[in-house]
Amino acid sequence: MPQSNTGVLQRFKILRNIVFVLIGVILVRLFFIQIIEHNDWVARADEQHTLLEVITPRRGEIYMMDDGEPVAVVLNQTTYQVVIDPTVTKKEDIEKIVNEYVKDYTIVDLNEVYNTDGLRYSIVAKNVPRETAEKVAESGIPAIWLKKVNQRVYPEGELASGLLGFVNNEGVGQYGVEGSLNDVLSGKEGLIKTIADVNKVALSIGNDNIKIPAEDGENIVLSVDRGLEKGVEEIAANTVANSTATNASVLIMNPNNGEVITMANVPTYDPGNYAKVSDASVYVNQVTDVPYEPASICKNFAFSAAINEGKMTSETTYFNKGFEEVDGWKIQNAEQRASLYGTLTMKDALYWSLNTGSIYALKLLGDDPNSINQTGREKLYDYYHNKFRLGKITGIELIEAAGYIEDPNEGWGRDSTYANMTFGQNLGITMIQTATAFSAVVNGGVYHTPNVVKGTINNGKFTAKSMVEDVNDKILSDETSAMMRDMLINNRGYKVRGGIDRAGYAIGGKSGTAQVVVNGAYDDTFAQLVGSYIGFVGPSNELPKYVIMVKMWGEGQSIDSGQAMSLFDSLSNYLIDYLKIKPGV
Amino acid sequence: MKTRKHKSDFAILFATLGLMAVGLIVIYAIGPMRANVLNSTYGTDYDANYFFIGQLRSVGLSLIAFFAAFKWIPYKYLKKWAKPMMIVALVLSALLWFLSLVGSSLAKCELGECRWFNFGIISFQPAEFLKLALVIYLADFLNRKKEEGTVGKFKEFWLPLLVVCGLSLFLVVIAQGDLGTGVALIAIIFGMLLMSGLSMRQYLIMVAIVLVVAVGAVVTSTHRMERVNAWLATMSGSESSDSTYHVENAMLAIGVGGFFGVGIGNSVQATGYLPESINDSVFAIMGETFGFVGLFLIIAVFASLLFRMLKVAEHTEDNEDRLLVVGVFSWMLAQIVVNIMAMTSLVPVTGITLPLLSYGGTSMIFIAFALGLVLQLSCYTSREVIKNEDTNSGRGLRRSYNSSRRSRP
Repeated sequence: MPQSNTGVLQRFKILRNIVFVLIGVILVRLFFIQIIEHNDWVARADEQHTLLEVITPRRGEIYMMDDGEPVAVVLNQTTYQVVIDPTVTKKEDIEKIVNEYVKDYTIVDLNEVYNTDGLRYSIVAKNVPRETAEKVAESGIPAIWLKKVNQRVYPEGELASGLLGFVNNEGVGQYGVEGSLNDVLSGKEGLIKTIADVNKVALSIGNDNIKIPAEDGENIVLSVDRGLEKGVEEIAANTVANSTATNASVLIMNPNNGEVITMANVPTYDPGNYAKVSDASVYVNQVTDVPYEPASICKNFAFSAAINEGKMTSETTYFNKGFEEVDGWKIQNAEQRASLYGTLTMKDALYWSLNTGSIYALKLLGDDPNSINQTGREKLYDYYHNKFRLGKITGIELIEAAGYIEDPNEGWGRDSTYANMTFGQNLGITMIQTATAFSAVVNGGVYHTPNVVKGTINNGKFTAKSMVEDVNDKILSDETSAMMRDMLINNRGYKVRGGIDRAGYAIGGKSGTAQVVVNGAYDDTFAQLVGSYIGFVGPSNELPKYVIMVKMWGEGQSIDSGQAMSLFDSLSNYLIDYLKIKPGV
Repeated sequence: MKTRKHKSDFAILFATLGLMAVGLIVIYAIGPMRANVLNSTYGTDYDANYFFIGQLRSVGLSLIAFFAAFKWIPYKYLKKWAKPMMIVALVLSALLWFLSLVGSSLAKCELGECRWFNFGIISFQPAEFLKLALVIYLADFLNRKKEEGTVGKFKEFWLPLLVVCGLSLFLVVIAQGDLGTGVALIAIIFGMLLMSGLSMRQYLIMVAIVLVVAVGAVVTSTHRMERVNAWLATMSGSESSDSTYHVENAMLAIGVGGFFGVGIGNSVQATGYLPESINDSVFAIMGETFGFVGLFLIIAVFASLLFRMLKVAEHTEDNEDRLLVVGVFSWMLAQIVVNIMAMTSLVPVTGITLPLLSYGGTSMIFIAFALGLVLQLSCYTSREVIKNEDTNSGRGLRRSYNSSRRSRP
């Protein structure tokens, strides 16, 4: 069929119309995408292009004192993470890197990584040291990132582990100073918000870029003396090793300002390998975080209260019959030798650690030498809880347990409970509470808030800075304190056969052997005992320079205060030598 | 009657040169980003200006090809070489296929598809040459058949046509896996067939057959079906996946551009998010950079180029010349429309360059050569719309409706 002229022209028209329709469709489509949906696409683009990067601040380091100078005991070390984008990084390449350099640091199964659909970020290796990371970087394999990570290093190993704590995998401090001062140490995170290219490299395009710099954490200087801490831990560990005890805790502080110079817990652990411990209880700082019954050590507080109230002196006498009956309970003395029955001074009662003596002090507080009454209980409560601040948090810069002091009026059997409290049972208090209260007893009667942070250090420059507010509360008279010191020095004659306390030094102390509660009652078989000893050291005729508290125990072991006292004896002499305390005149 | 030579069509000339210039500007802006992405991702060492210099070289060679076709190589001589050129084009594609099968390093392959000859620093894509050869060959073939009066006859017309076209499509679509060029080839074939004097009935039957074969080819291939599914997924806005990543990011670039665009050098999508940002996806980057206004202008330039080619064809008296212009028109139309529609998710992504704008030498050089030929033929248009030798009705003696032509000598 011959083609007509109009036929050809019509066919041109068809082509022209095809062009019109196609371009029309395209323009409508473009209008739809670019004008109508514009905001949606911008929102999606923001999501895709914006890189939010947290700038990790440098964690503050921890220092101790040594010979008057701060020395670092907790440091940071930069390590690297090897990160890949499995959609870009070739599997053979990363396998080569792993086998050649970072095998020991690899944390993932590469087969698994490459079998995961849509995975665009995978940390292949962790804790890679710098030299190795540099080799990885030099390998020139594309799309491998090296992410800097600050790692905690404890150059002193297990030293003061209970005091220092550790930093977990997420970079959060746990236990000890790392835990309690985590906010101060960790500083403040910074933030980068920027438009980035597909490889997450920041671009200069865009006006919404934000950079908030990180604030590094503060370097903290502890008042603890590194050398002393080390020596004390060694002595304590040896003592534990040569006894049936499994644990010992030692606290040494300056009673005149509350400054802690030693806080030792045995056994120790390595904070750099904290996960390797078999028993997580070693993390707990026994000095501040575990309330217990220090037993007869509390007689100091009951005696101080009665003396300070003017109800008695060290020479006040009472009749010791070896036991007391309160609320139908028979309370006995531990020391039952017949020669002690009869009239004794309070000084003797403290020397022989007679429970009947401290109960008599409670009676005197209530102005009734024959029985315990409400006034006596309330007075004792006032001294224990309000003045000596037992059973409540002291405020030291560490994780603390409050413990408890029974109410003087609420509840059943108040008189027997309070009778027990005079010799340190039926209450729960921590070592730091006990030693701080004891410091007030011997330092002239002033309660100082205990503290373990001496200041901060920046670029080697030390700045004194207290993190606690000292309550500086005068709770006992000078005379009360002096009388207590005399009695405590007198105590040292008990069982101490001379030659242990050197001439020229005023050393006083008090023991405490605590029974353990089994099935809701004190176990009178004494199968398990916790031994404690507290004392002060200083030149003779001067106020004490240091208070030392020792606690020793072991699961199912009968550790009496005698063992704690011999540890104290070693420590008091070590302290005099180490700190070169000059004898008095 | 031969029309006297007159001045060429300025619109085609300036549209071609203008598009090349725009392409250069865009590559200048995003070339460094592309180099950076490749360097950091694949460890290559491209200079920041590597792609701009490459494009500059392509534009230079394309200009030579363009003016060679326009001024120095008369089509009346070139068309004598139609058959040998077609044979050479088919042989080159077949040779590439053979080389890729034996794993020769002369065959350059990307993502498993071998589409390039690799001669060290230069690579060459025979499919681009095949498109030009096919246009020239079909113009010659269809003109001969029309003169012989055998158009539509099975043995004289369909059989040789099916052999040549079938072979071309096989080598491009199956051997090289280049569906985009395949679409362009089909557009060229059907555009030229429409003007070959073939009856509309036969033409539509042929269109139907090709559609059935095409649908069959898609449905039976999991790889092609995947692309269609990905396309349907983006159309319906369902969950993103790896296969929808390309088109989503193309649309994202276009959408972010808004009305006026983010401006030259501010494209973020070109920093590695959008695959093929300088080649097949350059339209999306232009959408981001120049916005709706910019894309509208670029499309307007393309449209004017297409309409001017149709006009040149309409006013070309010689049948073979006319067929050639329609062939080039179809080629351009297919590449422009398929590329833009893929970027806007109107059709599945096929991988086809945007003429004169995309980075890539071979494609631009052959398109430029073809446009040069059109420009050459635009010098021989008549004032009148085609006179048809076959008709006796005389109804076709219509005046040109193009008033602008009055200024022509």
